[in-house]
Amino acid sequence: MKSTSIYLAGLVIAFIALTSCEKDDPIIPHEEELITSLIYTLSPVGVGETVVLSFKDLDGDNGNSPIISKGLLKANTRYTGAMELLNELEEPVHNITDEILEEAEDHQFFFTSTVNDLQVLYSDSDMNGNPLGIKTQLATQGEGTGVLKIILRHEPDKFADGVADGDITNAGGETDIEVIFEIDVQ
Amino acid sequence: MYSKFFLIFLFSLFASSTVSQECNHLITGVVRDAQTGEEIPYASVLISEYSKGAVTNDAGIFVISHVCDTSFTLTVSFLGYEVYENLVSVSNDQSIVVELIADSKKINDVTVTAGWLSATERLSQRIGDEQIQYDVNESLANMLESLSGVSSLKSGGGIAKPVVQGLYGNRLPILNNGVAQSGQQWGNDHSPEIDPIVANTISVISGVHAMEYQGRSLGNMVLVEAKPIRRHHLLSGKAGYFFESNGRGNGVNLALQKYDPTLAWKVNGTLKKRGDQHAADYYLTNTGIEEANVALQLEKVINDRWSLDAMLSSFNTQIGVLRGSHIGNLTDLEEALERDVPFYTNDYFSYDINAPRQTVAHHLVKLQAKYFKDDHTWVNIVYATQLNNRKEYDVKRLGRSEVPSLSLQQFTHFIEAKYSRPVFNAWRLKTGLQFNFIDNSNDPETGILPLIPDYYSYEMGSFATFSKHIKRWYLQIGGRYDYQMQNVAAISNSIPREIIRYNNHFHSYKIGIDSRYFTSSTTEIIGSLGIASRNPEVNEFYSNGLHQGVGGIEEGDPDLVKESAIKGSISINSAISSKLQIESSVYSQYIEDYIYLQPQDEIRLTIRGAFPVFKYEQANASIIGADIMAHYHISENIKFSGQYSYLRGNNLSDDVPLINMPSNSFSTSLRYTKEKIVFIDKLSLDISQRYVYQQSHLLPEQDFTEPPEAYNLLGFQLTAQNQIKQMKVNSFIRVDNLLNVSYRDYLNRMRYFADDLGMNVVIGLNLSF
Repeated sequence: MKSTSIYLAGLVIAFIALTSCEKDDPIIPHEEELITSLIYTLSPVGVGETVVLSFKDLDGDNGNSPIISKGLLKANTRYTGAMELLNELEEPVHNITDEILEEAEDHQFFFTSTVNDLQVLYSDSDMNGNPLGIKTQLATQGEGTGVLKIILRHEPDKFADGVADGDITNAGGETDIEVIFEIDVQ
Repeated sequence: MYSKFFLIFLFSLFASSTVSQECNHLITGVVRDAQTGEEIPYASVLISEYSKGAVTNDAGIFVISHVCDTSFTLTVSFLGYEVYENLVSVSNDQSIVVELIADSKKINDVTVTAGWLSATERLSQRIGDEQIQYDVNESLANMLESLSGVSSLKSGGGIAKPVVQGLYGNRLPILNNGVAQSGQQWGNDHSPEIDPIVANTISVISGVHAMEYQGRSLGNMVLVEAKPIRRHHLLSGKAGYFFESNGRGNGVNLALQKYDPTLAWKVNGTLKKRGDQHAADYYLTNTGIEEANVALQLEKVINDRWSLDAMLSSFNTQIGVLRGSHIGNLTDLEEALERDVPFYTNDYFSYDINAPRQTVAHHLVKLQAKYFKDDHTWVNIVYATQLNNRKEYDVKRLGRSEVPSLSLQQFTHFIEAKYSRPVFNAWRLKTGLQFNFIDNSNDPETGILPLIPDYYSYEMGSFATFSKHIKRWYLQIGGRYDYQMQNVAAISNSIPREIIRYNNHFHSYKIGIDSRYFTSSTTEIIGSLGIASRNPEVNEFYSNGLHQGVGGIEEGDPDLVKESAIKGSISINSAISSKLQIESSVYSQYIEDYIYLQPQDEIRLTIRGAFPVFKYEQANASIIGADIMAHYHISENIKFSGQYSYLRGNNLSDDVPLINMPSNSFSTSLRYTKEKIVFIDKLSLDISQRYVYQQSHLLPEQDFTEPPEAYNLLGFQLTAQNQIKQMKVNSFIRVDNLLNVSYRDYLNRMRYFADDLGMNVVIGLNLSF
């Protein structure tokens, strides 16, 4: 009985000694896959004010809600659109647009709008002559309000029916970006 | 003594008068203690060739009917004795005397556990060598599906984890040779990393028996065990090969062994490779699998009192995940649900495995020492260490598909001491102490915030069980206590990123009673009642982020409390006549604070679009079910079997059904066996059918889409055995989904994207020498 008690006491001491260890601090990963910000800069052809549509979620998926700007566009105007994707969590800020350009055949932006007669046309293309959407032309006509939805697909079927014309229906692939901006055309 | 032999003689007479056909033998025998000569009641007797068994009666006598050959392998086991396994041949007027040796040199615990289950129960709750051999192309979970009350939760053809009576994952520990299998049990897309061919016995245990193992169960456990090395002094072994048409898979297995008391060894290796599988109408692109496993078993008897053994195993696999199931956000999922054929479906076959894919390595080292104080008192000490390394790869930009999105490493150390001796008035006590340490780390190479944090887990547990035969009763009572401490180091959601620490302490308990009553030598009634509690796991507390495989954001809740369950079950196993055997059981489990993933009303807006949010919540739940199985011998060569399973899970707090519960099902099979036909020594032919009902017990808002429709699959199997000199040759051909039906299964997550597997023809050859 005495030896059993000693044995048990020893085990308890060993257990306490072992459990007093703390797990080391984990190394915080470089979140290189993250895209925190999408900035769509619309510069009017000719005179007028440049419009910047931006979607920023600086702490990633969880945590605070993203900050989304609204767009005030002029009616009957043509804009040159430039897309920029950033990971602002990295130091220095990581430009993801370059990665997309490098893999242009595997990516495509799609633009859809509920605003009457608002049109977005591709002004760039990949090696195969299919559109990409980093550079675009946006044209407004009459006044109105609605939304502009921008989707970036990774590995879509760019040769599928209608995809080269900006129709997402047969594109497939997986969504890397899907943001919606409120648009007011005056 | 003589009177008993007279009884056996009477049995034989009776048998020969009722069953007079040739090749329809009745095997009788008596089981005794080798030293004392005392008869052993309730020992289980099994003829492995026919999966037939019996339990000895009060006088130690057993009777097995409808045996087609007078030479067979007889396995007799009983608590506290060495398992007796021998090739015996008898003539009609002769009975067998089996002398069991008290468990003094026996090392492996499986022999003890086997003795606690009656032969009839073992038939339905255990898978042996023979079946594993014919299902050699299947994963562990798929093999288990043939047991009543067991189904599997799948993520495509290569990933499956077992579900026993509605419980799985964190609630269903899998014990690999007595050691709780470590790994990432929390993910439904993580299958247990065990080679079923190395482990040649798989069983489901419950009740008091399960209490001697450490593992956070709520009742049931899956035991996977490598049998002790056969007492065969010459070099012997087994070689097997299979080919499967679906996925053009090939597999080889080689086992060699030699027994010598100074050092017995067994080595077992498996290689498997399979390419893209095929649904009824199209290829399932990127569903290949590669596997390479090796295991070494050693046994050494030092003297009458001490014996040692060791087990080393390494499991390595690479699994492709259906390319079309890799989705971005909610919109993508909705689009995928609309499609008949998944995106990225190639119209050609390939062995390539690309992202999304998983690579997993699992290594185990187990050392065991057993000491016998006397014939009835023993101590067993185990040390085991495991390393589990899991990497999951997603489709990424710029060739970073080679960088994993999930990279986890888990180290465990396990120490156990068990002690058993007779106490009081012929009760057997079994008690023990267990300590387990887990170190789980994320590798920051992923560039993604980890879904579950880094942690240490310390567990210390102790149990005691008492068992006794009282006349026609066999009683077992037991209790278990576990203390667990979790030391968690998580990374914050907010920026700047910082480390948040949690320390949790838990106490959990189990108490249970099992009683088995033998109304006659052919019928037994088993009643079981137990309570158990389980701590929340680290994933349930602190999961945080996008679970790519599920296409949703998963959030843990640090305020969860432990769940407690009470479960009762009654089983009746009876050989109603020599032609009809029935096994049935009903069970009911009530779980307080059942932890589950609840879809939230909130849709989380991210730059990749909207994602559904799932949060771990608690509710009171109940699971009730029934399983019934019957075997009917239509004639000496033809056997009909039927099986029906019913299960219903409810969330009582919210008055809604529980999700991810198996559908009800029934299956039937017809088996024809014939000896000495043409050049074949033994031939058997099986035609089977399995009908799975639609999971109707679910509300539309509980899932993204309606549960798949009911389906019916046909199967066919032809096996032939031949003895060529010292070599046993076993060959088989098996066809699954014979009619190439296109179907989807509720418990397969791939059902959102693609049909389940089409027809598969498997051919195999096994040589035992």
